[in-house]
This record gives sequence, C-alpha cells and structure tokens, in this order.
Amino acid sequence: MQIEIENLFFSYDGAPLLERVHLQVRKGEFIGIMGPNGGGKTTLLRLLMGFLTPNRGRVSVQGRVGYVPQVHRTDRDFPITVQELVLLGALSQCGFWGYPKGVLARAEALMEQLGLRDYRSKPFSSLSGGLAQRALLARALLGDPDLLLLDEATANIDLPSTKIIFELLRSLRGKKTILLVTHDLRAIIEWVDRVLCVQGEVSSFLPKEVCEHFALGLYHTPLLRLRSEKKREPAHV
Amino acid sequence: MFDNVFLQMALWACLLAAPATGVIGSLVVVKRISFMAGCIAHSVLGGMGFCLWLQRAKGVAWLDPIWGAFGSAIASALLLGWIHLNYRQREDAVIAAIWSAGMATGMIFLSLTPGTNVELFNYLFGNILWITGSDLARLALLNGAILAVVAVYYRRFLALCFDEELALLQGVAVKRLYLLLLSLVAVSIVLLMQVIGTILAIALLTIPATLAGLFTHRLVWMMGAAAALCALFSILGLGASSLFNWPPGATIALLAAASYLLLLPLKKQFRLTLRKAFE
Repeated sequence: MQIEIENLFFSYDGAPLLERVHLQVRKGEFIGIMGPNGGGKTTLLRLLMGFLTPNRGRVSVQGRVGYVPQVHRTDRDFPITVQELVLLGALSQCGFWGYPKGVLARAEALMEQLGLRDYRSKPFSSLSGGLAQRALLARALLGDPDLLLLDEATANIDLPSTKIIFELLRSLRGKKTILLVTHDLRAIIEWVDRVLCVQGEVSSFLPKEVCEHFALGLYHTPLLRLRSEKKREPAHV
Repeated sequence: MFDNVFLQMALWACLLAAPATGVIGSLVVVKRISFMAGCIAHSVLGGMGFCLWLQRAKGVAWLDPIWGAFGSAIASALLLGWIHLNYRQREDAVIAAIWSAGMATGMIFLSLTPGTNVELFNYLFGNILWITGSDLARLALLNGAILAVVAVYYRRFLALCFDEELALLQGVAVKRLYLLLLSLVAVSIVLLMQVIGTILAIALLTIPATLAGLFTHRLVWMMGAAAALCALFSILGLGASSLFNWPPGATIALLAAASYLLLLPLKKQFRLTLRKAFE
C-alpha cells in the first residue's frame, strides 16, 4: 500500500475537522479528491505530507512525496527564475557546487515536456497562472516522487495549461500514485480510478457514482454516501 | 573630505559592513521577517547595557559591551525563532514584548551606570567616527563568516524563504535552518551597530534590499544589488553628514529612506517593462 490511514482524528483549536478516517491507497492508483471548501481536503494532504500530526490514529505513507500547491499560495513577488524554481524539486540531491548534471538534464526535459523551455530564465513572477502551475508541477516531478499530491492544480488556469497538465498526469497513470484535489467533474469522469469525498469524514466512490449524483444536482457528501449505501443495499441482501 | 583619518576608517567600515548587510537584508526582506529583525536590533540594548553596567559599576573591566550585544542579539533571535516555530498565532504580540523588554532592560542598566549619556546616544544611533582598527578587523571577520555560511546554504535558504513546505519535503532541517537565519540576522545587526546604531540598523538592513528587490528577479542578484546600494547609501550619507555636520547614522538612514520613496513609483513601470520584455 502507498497510503494507509487508520481511525484518524484531527482538530484545529479543538474544532474537529477530520474524524473516523480510514483509507487505503494502492500503488499506482489515480485518485480524485473533492468536497466543499473547508471540508478538510488540503488538511488531508498536509497530514499525508507529515506537516500536521493527527490527534488520534495512524497515517502511513510509503515512498517519496511530490506536492503541487495552488499557484496563488506561492509568493509571486519572490525573486526566482523558472529554472531555479524547478530545480528546487531536487534540492535533496544538491551538493555544495550545485546540482548533478543528471538533475539538470532531467529539469530541462521536464520543462520541455511542460512547454516551459522558453521561460526557463524568466522570472516566476512574470508567468501567467497556467504557466506558473506547470512550473510547480515540473518542480514536484523533478524529485521523481512515488506519490504525487496536487492541490487544485487545475483551478483558475487557462485551457491549454489544463490540457498539458492532464496529458502529463495521464502519462504517469499506473507509474505513480496520484491524489488530485479538484472541483473539475470532467476530470473526475475521464481520469480517476476512485473519488474521495472529504467533508469531515472521507468517503470513497467510483467516478460513475459521483456523476450520477451530480446529474441529480447533489453535491453534499453525506447525501452522496446515503444514496450510494441505498443503492448498494440489494447487493448485500 | 576623505583625507580625514576618522572618515577614512568610517569609509572602510561602510564598505566592510555592506556585503553581509545586503545578503542578510535580502533574506530578511524575501522571508518577510523585518519586524523580527527590528526586535532583535532593539533587544541588543539589553545585553549591552548589562555589560556596560558590569564594566563601569562593578569593575568587570575586561567585559566589552559588544559581547553583551552579541549575547542578547543571539538570545533574542533564538527566542523569537522558538516562538515562531511553536506559537505562531501569538507571534506579533510576543515580538513586541521582547522588543520593549530588551530596550527597557538596557535603559535601566545604563541609568545605573555612571557617565554613559554620550555612549548611550552612540549605541542607539551609531557613531561611525568612533571606529578603531580592531573594530574594522572584527567587521571583516564577521562579514566573511556571514558570507561563507550563506554561500554554503544558499539554495537551502532560497527554499526556506520561498516555500518552507517544499524545503521540508526535500529533507531540509527547516527549524534549524530558520534558527540559523535568525542568528545570522543577529550577527549582522551587531555588525551594523557600530556603523548606524541599534535603532537605525533595521533601515540599512531592509531598505537597500527592498529597493534591490524592485529591479531584480533572482535572489543572488538582489543580494549583490542590495550590498552595492548599502555601500552607496553609507558612503553618500557619510559624506553628507560630514558636509552638513549631521549625525552620520541618521543621515545614512534618511538617505536610504528618501531614495526608497523616490524610486517606489518606478516599480510598477519597471515591472510592466519587464513583463513586456518577457512576453
């Protein structure tokens, strides 16, 4: 298993945010994470990365982790070029004299793949939202992670960038475990193996189950779960 | 003007303090810890006042106040770092408390120490014309040490300042690096204390770096430009203070602040030009 969470409980200043979370993710799975704002999606990612400690329960993550934050959460005024930013993804391999040649070559290849080659010497602050998001994805991939976490990486960015990001994620399908926080229903239908609805608790669905409920105009996670359980009842009888 | 031996020594002090000030000032500005740097600068007075009191009132003749400045600067930097890492919600109020407690301690010890009025003024607002040969040697040593540490950890500092979470995922000991950064800020402030004084040190630490940040897009260039601006402001301020018979520290700080205010409106225009050039 790439991820195992057992009976997790997490609260901010005494207010429960996530409770009774049980989750297992196999290696190579592509998982979409959805849920309302403030439901605990980003908190779940931060718990997986070890930035937060659960109040109760156990979180186990195998392998290297790569993280793509939302572009608006980065400091867009920071004096850094695109190439410098991408290379930070292999900081653990950086020696006193700089990055190994292999890392530099891999960074070039990733920038080429994500359409960033012409921007390599340009300031990160001069990039559009879509290009900046691609640079953050290249940074996360440079460290060759086993588990890739993307926090709304395709929200509020241009269509060509969304397409490039999803094409790259498709090429990684089965090779890396991917957890993608998204509100993009189309992405959920087309790409993911499983959907996690996060709203205080974490419920797991197949993409087609989520789509059926969206078709009925439902989004609320407990409703989704209720309908899903009702639907499954005959199978258990 | 610079035929004067005192001014020559002062000029060397400006040139020696500038590189470390530009480099550390840039890290302070991009990490947005100017308020913390201000707190460290002001709490320096506590240790300095205590050592001066021990030296003058209690006869501990060997105890130079500069060691008190070092001690209190490092202690307040580590305390601030610990608070930032463990109690982030109440950080600003605690910074204000340390800031004023350091100043208050210093003022009390200085008031208990006989004949320190002129020295107090010089510690608070600096008197670069006091610089001696051994001070210059100390400045050179501290400057070299700061630059060496930043050169070794440059990319890690870059990650720490840009994205702490990324640094953590890359296995960087973020807490230790953060405390190291604050300790370097503390050493830089002690270094600047003799040039511009504790109260005005924050001006030379932040204004040249902020100005450099308006017109550069790499941290390493920002550091270089900030160091050059720091040297320029110090030398021009020193010249102006000599010409108008103004206090050197205050003249340097005022010149830096005035330049910042004058150049700030150009920032937007520069960014637009930059964006057009890269499109």
